[in-house]
Amino acid sequence: MSTLTISSIRKSFKGTEVLRGIDLTIESGSFVSLLGPSGCGKTTLLRCIAGLETPSSGQILIGGDDVTALAPERRRLGMMFQSYALFPHMTVLENVRFGLRMRADRSVAEQRKAARDALEVVRMEGYADRLPTQLSGGQQQRVALARAIAPEPRVLLLDEPLSNLDARLRDDMQIELVELHRRLGLTTVFVTHDQHEAMTMSDTVVLLNDGSVEQVGEPEDIYRRPATHFAADFIGAANMIAGEATAQGIRLDGVPGDALPRPDNATNGRGSLVVRTESIVVGHSPATGYDSAAPVTVLTSVFRGAEVIYVVELAGQRVKVTAPANVPIVPAGAAVASWASSEAFWLSETTVLTHER
Amino acid sequence: MVKSVPLVAKAAAVVLLAFLALYMLVPIIVVAGASLSESRFLAFPPTGLSLEWYVVALTSDVYLGPLQTSLLIAVVAAVIAATLGTAAALAVTRFPLPFSGAIQSFLLSPLIVPTIIMGIGTLTLVSVIGQGPDLWVLVVVHAVLGIPYVMRTVTGVMARSDRFTEEAARTLGAGTWSRYRFVVLPMARPGIVAGAFFAFNISFDDAVIALFLRTPQLETLPIAIYGRLEFSTDPSVAAVSTLMVLITVVTMIALEKAIGLGKAFV
Repeated sequence: MSTLTISSIRKSFKGTEVLRGIDLTIESGSFVSLLGPSGCGKTTLLRCIAGLETPSSGQILIGGDDVTALAPERRRLGMMFQSYALFPHMTVLENVRFGLRMRADRSVAEQRKAARDALEVVRMEGYADRLPTQLSGGQQQRVALARAIAPEPRVLLLDEPLSNLDARLRDDMQIELVELHRRLGLTTVFVTHDQHEAMTMSDTVVLLNDGSVEQVGEPEDIYRRPATHFAADFIGAANMIAGEATAQGIRLDGVPGDALPRPDNATNGRGSLVVRTESIVVGHSPATGYDSAAPVTVLTSVFRGAEVIYVVELAGQRVKVTAPANVPIVPAGAAVASWASSEAFWLSETTVLTHER
Repeated sequence: MVKSVPLVAKAAAVVLLAFLALYMLVPIIVVAGASLSESRFLAFPPTGLSLEWYVVALTSDVYLGPLQTSLLIAVVAAVIAATLGTAAALAVTRFPLPFSGAIQSFLLSPLIVPTIIMGIGTLTLVSVIGQGPDLWVLVVVHAVLGIPYVMRTVTGVMARSDRFTEEAARTLGAGTWSRYRFVVLPMARPGIVAGAFFAFNISFDDAVIALFLRTPQLETLPIAIYGRLEFSTDPSVAAVSTLMVLITVVTMIALEKAIGLGKAFV
């Protein structure tokens, strides 16, 4: 099996620590996204797995073998690069056959057959004799994918493969990559800075920030229960409203009236109430079916087709709201924001401190 | 974009290009014209029309020996320059060498050292430490002159290529040797061939250094032409010169057809 185990990986470039001790286990057959803002170390971590960077310390095991000191050409991994990195002087078929040719454990005819099969998987079998320069970006990408999977790698590594595609093609490719993963069952590590991409595609999301793992979990888990301020902020759009949790409920700073119902996970003490933009409803009065409400001032609203984005002020804090566009738009001025405490959760200051160091 | 260029500017560009082409072509036209003359004297426009001087040029020992010498020197110098220049270009573009800027400048310096200085220097050197100039000395000096051209063309091609292709090759199982054999060198090929072509021309064309290093046994074609011109003025000189131009043009066209020389200059 090709379970990937990463233990206490550190990497420094010229005295700057880019990876600060990463521990991670990637189960055989799973699709894992390394997600984080640029400079968080996600690509460096992927390159360490591939062997293209040597970690300063730590260990990488693939299927139980320690590969930390193994050259990339001997790791039997497939990697797809952001720029695709196709060989410009070889035909599509020769590009895809390259890995099999290097391994040289089958006849040329069998290698060609396997390369054609891989091209068929990405639906590029009709382009076998073209040169990469004669293909569009999306087609080049499929060829790069076929080249990576043709030698049956133990792990497939994808370095922001979709970032060079236009929006529509990207959506199509996301679905295709997921389907391909289901069909082949390849352990896949996918690097992206796009939280939507990570959410839609992976079994597990690894959120990285400043060289450390911020949170690991299933997409829904990370989305609904971010462990840190950073996670809440980075994954989807969330509002964090400062306040204090007591036995009676939540008191948001500057909001008068009764304490609001506590979210399930609240612990007493100072912290922030995290409410996703789409969990808030703006209206002229508290909305029915929601147990929490607070007076707000609507500052601006932006119509975006399927939805309306409001920026409102809640006791001196700016809060964003995403509302469906099929209800009348609330004009600027006094209004009421409502939400369900079951949709919100509590980030106490102590958890924030332990995670943000 | 093109539409917005004013007509006057377009016309000016066409005129300028025409003059430039004329400026470069006129000497060649004159020489080629003179070579076709029936007359025994070098003259333009030619009187009559004949290929007789080509027969003279291609059968006379005056030119044939030097032509062989020139071709031998140029081919060997070009091969050496291509090998060393490619290695140097890959080294400075692919590896974080200490002083790589200085190394690059040093290897490119033959471009700015006047050839006459190279000639005097080489002659002095081989006279002091050896038995004087011979064919291999000229090969070495010409190779040195050719290296910067190869370096420039190969560096250009490598700078435009995707630097991740080598890493892609590694992840696909290619070791160092396979990586160079199947990926790096084929990608650099247009640059290598273009550079080698320049190196060949620099050597084939050189009169200055060859003049300093000439001996009775070592006479290249340009020196033979020059020597001939001193004593006689028959059009065989023009015929040989025209052949030199033809050799260059044919080589260039062949290379363009075979590997697309233009790729090195995109």
